[in-house]
Amino acid sequence: MPRIDAHGHVFARVSSEFPREAGGITPPEREETVEKLMTYMAASRIDQAMLVQIGGTTVAEHAYLLRCLSAYPDRFLGIGLIPETDYGAPQDHMDRLSDGTGIVGFRLGTVGGPPDPFEPVDVRKFTTYPIWRHAAEKDLVLWLYVRAADAHLIAYMVDAFPQVRVVINHLGICPGQGKGRHDQWGRPQIDIVPYNPAFHTTHRLSTYENVAMHLSGHYAFSKEPYPYPDLAGWNRNLLRTFGADRLMWATDFPWIYEEPGYDKLARLIEETVPDIAPHELEEIMGGTAKRFLRFPDLR
Amino acid sequence: MTVVSGPTPAEWKQWEEQGYLVFEDAIRGEMLDRLQQAFDHWAAACKEAWLDGVARGELAATYYDIPNVLEKDEIFIDILDKPRYFEYIKAFTEDDAIHIGEQVRTAPLWPMGYTGWHPDVPPDHPLHIKVQVYVNDVERGGGEFAYVPGSHLPGAGPYPRVKNLEAMPGHKRFPGRAGTAIMFNTYGWHVAMENHTGIPRKSIILTYEKRTPGKIDPGRYAHIAPSLNTPDRRRLFGMS
Repeated sequence: MPRIDAHGHVFARVSSEFPREAGGITPPEREETVEKLMTYMAASRIDQAMLVQIGGTTVAEHAYLLRCLSAYPDRFLGIGLIPETDYGAPQDHMDRLSDGTGIVGFRLGTVGGPPDPFEPVDVRKFTTYPIWRHAAEKDLVLWLYVRAADAHLIAYMVDAFPQVRVVINHLGICPGQGKGRHDQWGRPQIDIVPYNPAFHTTHRLSTYENVAMHLSGHYAFSKEPYPYPDLAGWNRNLLRTFGADRLMWATDFPWIYEEPGYDKLARLIEETVPDIAPHELEEIMGGTAKRFLRFPDLR
Repeated sequence: MTVVSGPTPAEWKQWEEQGYLVFEDAIRGEMLDRLQQAFDHWAAACKEAWLDGVARGELAATYYDIPNVLEKDEIFIDILDKPRYFEYIKAFTEDDAIHIGEQVRTAPLWPMGYTGWHPDVPPDHPLHIKVQVYVNDVERGGGEFAYVPGSHLPGAGPYPRVKNLEAMPGHKRFPGRAGTAIMFNTYGWHVAMENHTGIPRKSIILTYEKRTPGKIDPGRYAHIAPSLNTPDRRRLFGMS
């Protein structure tokens, strides 16, 4: 069974070949290359990984991601981004990026329905409805890390599109307005409440067979150092509700290279669920991603 | 005049063996009117703050609890100890109950239930009782409370983590009119069923517990002390 890191980011320094947006933790001169990632992966016996676009939504800004997928087609798959201006008619953008490139899906930060849960719901009016519809037509994956205000809306789309494979990122936590910052290692940090709304929104999505969940992002949410004992219960609960065959381990590279380190995160599940059955660990560490995301066989 | 009395022998037996009791019309007439009006008034008044909490990632959008109701309207205190179910709380806790909390809750429509089957506390916890009071009529398939009778007993189970709520073996569903109260031992497995009716469920969940010394900080309810004006209330809130 391959070991697969199901979520992280690579990017090149800004150039005409690899244009991208630059930001606080991705300044123009910074690069986090796929080759660097591969050295970490090799040291931790990780075979494959999902590369998630960062640095812009335009097709041009996906150049480095596409180059990585082209160079290592049996090692990586990719998740793209969609400009909000294309949400109404995303088909061309989605097709250009996904036709034979190794990009197998797209990441969304919103769902785009009524924020008031008491308002009537018509999913056809959700701003992301055309994206879901096209994902259904093209068998693309949707990768969700949505804002807190939209957490309850995911269920309507998952319900409406049972054929779309959905991966809920980072333990199902949906970041609240004004809760994000970066720590001294330049890592994203999200303030969360211990009795988390996720228990009654994204975690309930275990009901749907087309939804899988990432066991990742602990470093960003925990108030304690590795192995994040305050979140160990989350791993256990998600194992009980989703089952190992719909959970995927991920590191969220490169933010974690320095602290706690890639190798430590590769042991996180064993550390926090020491009594996990070997076959469940195999599933979480790669089996689920291999099957659900259709990673290619290694050469 | 209503004669207030505690459990009959048959009700004692049902409570001990099944873990629940149902009180139809536990709240009715003028008291129910007051409760419904206060519920709707404060639900409207606090809604924006709840939506802000949802956007901040602090509150779930799948249920809406009006905060701090005891200080908002006396009816929310009255329902703790006036309706007939309170005599049963006293009986089951040997007249030594404390108030743990209240959830004045509306569950909006959603494609599934906002929680799965669960017990609240393990059996080594002091006796922990909830009373769920329907504020509007709740029909079958309308987000009604459901319970697995007997699941509170030592040695019961194990119970499966079913994804389809209706697949829980042996469960019983409790639709009811406004004013119906369902009392249950929270060692037992329970849930709110899915709501396919188009009408959000309004209910109040009152939580009581057999007293443990020091469990309640007597100062916690100082701000509503003038309303805690009977021996029962003072005991419930740890003030005597």
